[in-house]
Amino acid sequence: MTERAGYLPGLDADALQWEAHNYGPREASLLVLLPVLKGEQITAVTQYVRSQACARLKTLPVGQIVDAIDLAVARLLDRQDPYRRKMDNLLPVITGYDREMVHLGLTGYLKTFRKPELQRFLAEDFTNPSILNDFQPLAKGGFGRAFGPDVLGHIWAGNVPGLPLWSLVAGLLVKAGNVGKVSSAEPLFAGWFAQVLAEVEPDLADCLAVVWWRGGDAEPETALLHQADLVLGYGRNESLAAIQSRMPITTRFLAYGHKVSFALVSAAALDPSRAAATARLAAYDVARYDQQGCYAPHVVFVERGGVVSPETFAHYVAHGLAALERKFPRGLLSMAETSGVAAWRHSEEMTVGGQVFGDEAGAWTVSYQAEDTAFRPSGLNRTIRIVAVDTLAVVPTIVAPFKALLQTVGIAAPPKELFALAAALGEVGVTRIAALGDMTTPEAGWHHDGRFNLQDLVEITEIDGRAEAASDRLAPYVD
Amino acid sequence: MDFVGKVILVTGASRGIGAAIAKAFATEGAAIIVNYLQNQTAADATVADCEARGGVALAFQADVTDRQAVDGLVQKTLEEFGKIDVLVNNAFRPYTFDPEARKMHWQLDWSDYQNQIDGAVKAAHIMAQAVLPSMLSRSEGSIIHLASNLVARPTVPYHDYTTAKAALIGFSRNLAMELGPLGIRVNSIAPGLVYPTEASRSTKETMKEAIINQTPLGRIATPEDVSGPVLFLASDWSKFMTGQTLYVDGGMVMG
Repeated sequence: MTERAGYLPGLDADALQWEAHNYGPREASLLVLLPVLKGEQITAVTQYVRSQACARLKTLPVGQIVDAIDLAVARLLDRQDPYRRKMDNLLPVITGYDREMVHLGLTGYLKTFRKPELQRFLAEDFTNPSILNDFQPLAKGGFGRAFGPDVLGHIWAGNVPGLPLWSLVAGLLVKAGNVGKVSSAEPLFAGWFAQVLAEVEPDLADCLAVVWWRGGDAEPETALLHQADLVLGYGRNESLAAIQSRMPITTRFLAYGHKVSFALVSAAALDPSRAAATARLAAYDVARYDQQGCYAPHVVFVERGGVVSPETFAHYVAHGLAALERKFPRGLLSMAETSGVAAWRHSEEMTVGGQVFGDEAGAWTVSYQAEDTAFRPSGLNRTIRIVAVDTLAVVPTIVAPFKALLQTVGIAAPPKELFALAAALGEVGVTRIAALGDMTTPEAGWHHDGRFNLQDLVEITEIDGRAEAASDRLAPYVD
Repeated sequence: MDFVGKVILVTGASRGIGAAIAKAFATEGAAIIVNYLQNQTAADATVADCEARGGVALAFQADVTDRQAVDGLVQKTLEEFGKIDVLVNNAFRPYTFDPEARKMHWQLDWSDYQNQIDGAVKAAHIMAQAVLPSMLSRSEGSIIHLASNLVARPTVPYHDYTTAKAALIGFSRNLAMELGPLGIRVNSIAPGLVYPTEASRSTKETMKEAIINQTPLGRIATPEDVSGPVLFLASDWSKFMTGQTLYVDGGMVMG
């Protein structure tokens, strides 16, 4: 089977060079053709998107853009839709994730982009979303209107299915033309979404492009960085630093770098009637997309003093992972990933007071630490460190040195404790508190890494209050 | 069904049903701990038989109602084999099944009950606690209790024995509830009269005939009849079964 990646309005597909990439095991492999774009082609497609966005997208009221995205998402939520079928069938091959996990994950994820959620997304950042359409009165006096960039560049990373949708939708809502570069790890989703959007709203068809170039090829990347008005970058800090170094000084760059997440379980959650269920939720957060997302936990801090000990909690998590391995088997690992897990496991076994347990096939590993409270990244791919602490109050101090890296914290604790912990964690850089089981599914309108998703993309043009008064004196109706 | 690489601890395995279970595991390639209380000669014979069938076996003496002895038994097992995959709680206090000589209810002392309850439930409790750390470390394991079909149908009311076995089934179900979320399965086997064993050797022909007449499959169970369902409950074939009691009595009790 062969599939073409990308979405390239204004370019002649047959005139491009396509590179074949093989995905999946040999017996069920998928051939994906990726467009090898050069600097001048990036420039051409970006200029085309800019002109079309200015002519069409910018004239649409934001409500109409919401409706178009809602229609496209409704198509993708329909499991009979040909594009959704492609997603369900091919994304597991591309990413190696379990089919059922991808299917359920996509539905849960796409649901957060329906009209009500998009409206919430807008309302979260703009008191009055009409500010994207027209000048609106400002609280301080005068009027303001929000303008998105003409072209928003995206450089995506990772292989969690559907991830590009966040920034693509954000760009569309602020009426930006979008040019996004997909990662080789998952090059298909963004292009399919663009095609569906073009089908449901032809006015938007030429306002976005999905591109690719060979990793390490600075020329096309530089072309995009020079053509875009604003660039969103995702990925490892080294790649983001490289992008930053090529950015023209006048172009804004919003970097979403590497993040790590963890979980806290209060002694109050550790009674015999609830501990096992809580542990199952923690195991789900570990298993979902094999810990590839920035919101997946690496460490679970468990408080002593409950009826169920942290050690028993660790065993509950272990069984939770064993059960999930039957429901959603972990994806096949590369040699590098396998040795990453082995190296992590080895280092966990060296600690004092540590116990490492896992299944014989190595599909999951739990490291229980009674003494070593260090915060360190897991070995990924369903490996979790469970640390016993006398009180959760010590955790903010333990994680504080990693301030720049912290993102989501899953918490199982009563309300008073939840808010006290949230305050202490917020101070050390944590930007999202979630319930266990929800860590990997941020809600609509969440503040990604603590930022405003839409506000960060726009500039406000203000009409000074006095300018309005002054113009009034020049009106033809002046007596 | 392949038990190569699996470590099975069978209590009371020198003779009778326990020995038959040990040998059946051996035939499938398992490593077996043949626990016994007194009869070392019989235990050694079972070990030799297991090895002749292709298994690995060791005989370890321990009173399974003695916490310290059980800790020693499990520790020796772990030293030899590194883990315990399956525990078969088969040992029980000596009991003579003789319908004509049995004690009537009003002849029993509470100590008769206590004796049987210790032999069944106390032993199962101590054994389960002792093997738990090893099973937890891999989030898997199977614990099997040998009960009796008399619990469902007391053809002969052996009060103390059957009450203890009924308690054992209750214990087994509660343990299944507790250990399920930790990946460990707990089930029971309830055989009918098994012949020949040490305990059933004196059973009269008339009694056996009476049982056969009420058994759809028309005969008395042999020790080997019991081992099949034990292997099933020990294996991945039953990986989604816990808290169950399987009757192995030719259909005498149904349900």
